[in-house]
Amino acid sequence: MDNILEVRNLCKTYIVNKRQRHVLKNVNMTIKEGEFISVMGPSGSGKSTLLYNISGMDKMTAGDVIFDGIELGSLSEEKLSDMRLHKMGFVFQQINLLKNLGIIDNIIISAYMAKSKSKKEINQQAIDLMKKTDIIELADNDITQASGGQLQRAAICRALINKPKILFGDEPTGALNSRAASEVMEIFHTINEEGKTVMLVTHDVKVASQSEKVFYMKDGNIVGEYVLGKFKQSKDDIKQREAELSKWLLNMGF
Amino acid sequence: MILKILKKDFLRKKVVTIAVFVFILLAAMLISSGTNMLIDLNNSLEHLFKVSSAPHFIQHHSGKINQDEIDQWSVNNSYVKRQQTSEMINIHGSKVYINSDEAESHSVMDLDFVKQNKSFDYLLDLNNEKIEVNKGEIAVPIYYMQRRDLSLGDKVVIKDGDLKLTFTITSFVRDVQMNPSIISSKRFVVNATDFEKIKDATGDIEYQISFQLNDLDNLRQFSNQYIQSDLPKKGPTIDYTLLKLANSITDGLIAAVIILISLLLNVIALLCLRFIILLTIEEDYKEIGVMKAIGISPPNIKRIYLSKYFTMALSATLIGYLISLFINDIFSKNIMLYIGMAPKTIIEYSLPLVAAFLIAIIVIIFCYFILRRFNKISAIEAIRLGNTGETYSNNERLALYKNKVFNPNIFLGLRDIIIRFRLYVLLFIVFILSTFMITVPLNFLNTIQSPEFITYMGVGKSDIILDIRQSDQIVKEINEVVNYIENDPDVKKYSPYITSQYEIINEEGLPESILVETGDFSVFPLDYLEGVSPKLSNEIALSYLCANQLKKQVGDEVKLLINEKPRLMIVTGIYQDITDGGKTAKANISPDYETASWYTVNVNVNKNVAKKVLEYENRFDDLKVSNPKEYFKQTFSSTINQLKLLTITAIIIAILVTVLITSLFLKMMIAKDRSQIAIKRSIGISLKEIKIEYITKAFVILNLGILLGTVISNTLGERLLSAVLSIVGAPNIEFIINPLQVYIISPIIMIIIVILTTLVSINFIKEFSISDINAE
Repeated sequence: MDNILEVRNLCKTYIVNKRQRHVLKNVNMTIKEGEFISVMGPSGSGKSTLLYNISGMDKMTAGDVIFDGIELGSLSEEKLSDMRLHKMGFVFQQINLLKNLGIIDNIIISAYMAKSKSKKEINQQAIDLMKKTDIIELADNDITQASGGQLQRAAICRALINKPKILFGDEPTGALNSRAASEVMEIFHTINEEGKTVMLVTHDVKVASQSEKVFYMKDGNIVGEYVLGKFKQSKDDIKQREAELSKWLLNMGF
Repeated sequence: MILKILKKDFLRKKVVTIAVFVFILLAAMLISSGTNMLIDLNNSLEHLFKVSSAPHFIQHHSGKINQDEIDQWSVNNSYVKRQQTSEMINIHGSKVYINSDEAESHSVMDLDFVKQNKSFDYLLDLNNEKIEVNKGEIAVPIYYMQRRDLSLGDKVVIKDGDLKLTFTITSFVRDVQMNPSIISSKRFVVNATDFEKIKDATGDIEYQISFQLNDLDNLRQFSNQYIQSDLPKKGPTIDYTLLKLANSITDGLIAAVIILISLLLNVIALLCLRFIILLTIEEDYKEIGVMKAIGISPPNIKRIYLSKYFTMALSATLIGYLISLFINDIFSKNIMLYIGMAPKTIIEYSLPLVAAFLIAIIVIIFCYFILRRFNKISAIEAIRLGNTGETYSNNERLALYKNKVFNPNIFLGLRDIIIRFRLYVLLFIVFILSTFMITVPLNFLNTIQSPEFITYMGVGKSDIILDIRQSDQIVKEINEVVNYIENDPDVKKYSPYITSQYEIINEEGLPESILVETGDFSVFPLDYLEGVSPKLSNEIALSYLCANQLKKQVGDEVKLLINEKPRLMIVTGIYQDITDGGKTAKANISPDYETASWYTVNVNVNKNVAKKVLEYENRFDDLKVSNPKEYFKQTFSSTINQLKLLTITAIIIAILVTVLITSLFLKMMIAKDRSQIAIKRSIGISLKEIKIEYITKAFVILNLGILLGTVISNTLGERLLSAVLSIVGAPNIEFIINPLQVYIISPIIMIIIVILTTLVSINFIKEFSISDINAE
């Protein structure tokens, strides 16, 4: 398998009240195409900052990020937007759907902007995605007329509409109840089985235990890596993986 | 606590709070200055009329007079307080040189040389004192001082054949009768000895038979009695009302425009306030909910916010008023020069202050009403359901996926305008007002400069107007001119008109004096407000003001005294006329050469008009030849210049307001949309595409504003101006629109300005990142 993402000596420093705050310190990591990985760590360890920097949403202070063979640091603002639009998908904890658009419009907007297909094809694809995630009956609804879990599924549809190479999730189940969280995780697995790379940032051991590999971050650096192997989606499997991961995390000081 | 909230609120919305403050300040300043100007105008006029001891009724007369008869009539008339007959020597412009080598040949003004009057109608200097000139000295009207940039010591020369009289200017004349440039006669004051010398050598004598009455209320009755008498009346009459109107019209209109601009600025300030308050309510929705939840009563919460606007309105108004005290002189400059300054009274300080505080009161009441929205905020909704009170909403029918026509960014911009139109009201109204502020003065300027404007002066359009002065041999002179023109192969058509004073029987059955023009009105037809021109000898057309006063309409009958016999005339038409106080009539009756006030011949020619004017001037010595364009230029030059200045000022204000409000609006709107923009950026929508959406919004709102603004300017603006000009006799002004200026150049300039402002204002969206939003 080829590497989809390579991070080399990534640093991010913020200046707060004239004082430097090093949030990421020489982070190194590699993700292969088709992998399902999670990044864990205590609050303030730099997990979300890492995600924003490797997706080009935030500007790194130093280091290299190579995504799909392209060095992100060398790209202009416009090219980075283009890269996010065509090759990356995002799912956030706060859901972040556009408030003045209906659910289907929130899903298709990035495809309309990408202009890589006809409007008819895009609309059909959105319908297919909504059927797959079981929100088709909400297509014309306002975002205030859906539950948190349904909105997160709509956000996943939006992330997938341009057939990205990688799907980033920043605490995607953080704001959901356990049932909704499991449903969302099921969708992530389905997507991953279809060959898409998934990278999640999470606090939740149950969520992280369903990934192939877990990176542990502390004080702005990756301090450990634990390989769990492919998830079989059975209740027994999840319990065993959760126990295994908890033990490792305990050792890491989580 | 309240202070803390206010401080936080101010810091959060520094720019927009300052902008609203400045708008209220400017509105207060202008309304205060405008009011001050009106008071100044009124007081100064009163003062000028008092110190110059203005006449109440003046009959101009060319020809012989019998002073004994006048004296006897005056003594026997109980209305008369004082009577005075003054001689004026009218000298043709071609013989007068005012500090120049070139004569006043092309002047449309009658140049009258006079002595200082003895009992009233004094000619004053710039200090409002009676002018006294020595031998060889002259006092020149302010009109020429301004036009020719004259200073004391400059020379005025009268040359006629071998005669050459040189005078040194020692004073300038403030003339209660002939100050305004719209009055086409000007009085020069010379010493009594010089006066006699001029009289013997050149010019024509004209008399001013003036009266002051015991009670001004009897002016109408007196004027009727004079008309019915056998006293001289070969010439126009002027009364006190007309003098006041002529002296105050220009400055009065400017004061009205200043007050209007102040009110427009106040409307903008109110719209800005509405916008800020709505945004504040959205931002503080949760806090307001919490305050309600912990038991603070809605009126108390409202008071916290109201106190901010109360402080702002009062302080801005007070500062505006104080600034106005320093700039009042700039606005009153023209009044000070032409009318002079009356001693200041307490009213002059207090009334503008009251006007300024009116602005503050309007602002506070407005805020009070807007803040009623607080009552609608529910504590439960705000805290438990997390309702933010935001104005975002969706509209299923306008779903993006249903759009087949537009580019998605343009569609999103259009969709937002439709869904959140209430938010765009501020920008929309400001664009309408800006268009109005640019278009109405432009249209008026273009109208007053157009040859068509002559129709508002009760005259049909012609190339040349020949003005023949009343003299003893008038019939001979007219025949000579008419013969010459008739045989001139360059003349396409011509028609002589004779205007005489007649009596018309008014509503109360009393005779009333009226100027009736006689001649063939089909040759140079006039645009009538209603009806057609009179053709038969029992037909008459009345000017708008005259018809109004007589309460007559087309088809009504009116009695006209012709050779002392009443003739029943049918009103065939009503026309607009701003000359001679606006009260004139036209009838196709045989003219009375002897009693005529003036004689004109209108001519249309085949060849170059200027050359023809010169030819007639050289051919006939005593003829005043003008082409209507030139006549206009001189009579309305000061009005046109002031209007040009006003137009430029209005355009600059409109552009500044447009730039300021557009940029403020967009900055606040983008700050409000911050999270939505960050989400778009995070999913890969580029800055360029987001900018297209905002430019679409500004562009569409602007174009809607320009469209509606232009329609309103061309309809309501036209009516507004007509309403103002109906006072002087033109109730139906039709704008002559320069399509290039109004429909192409100004919209293009507005579009360029708004798009540039939008681009600059939305540039900071690149700083928005999803990480900031998620961190909140």
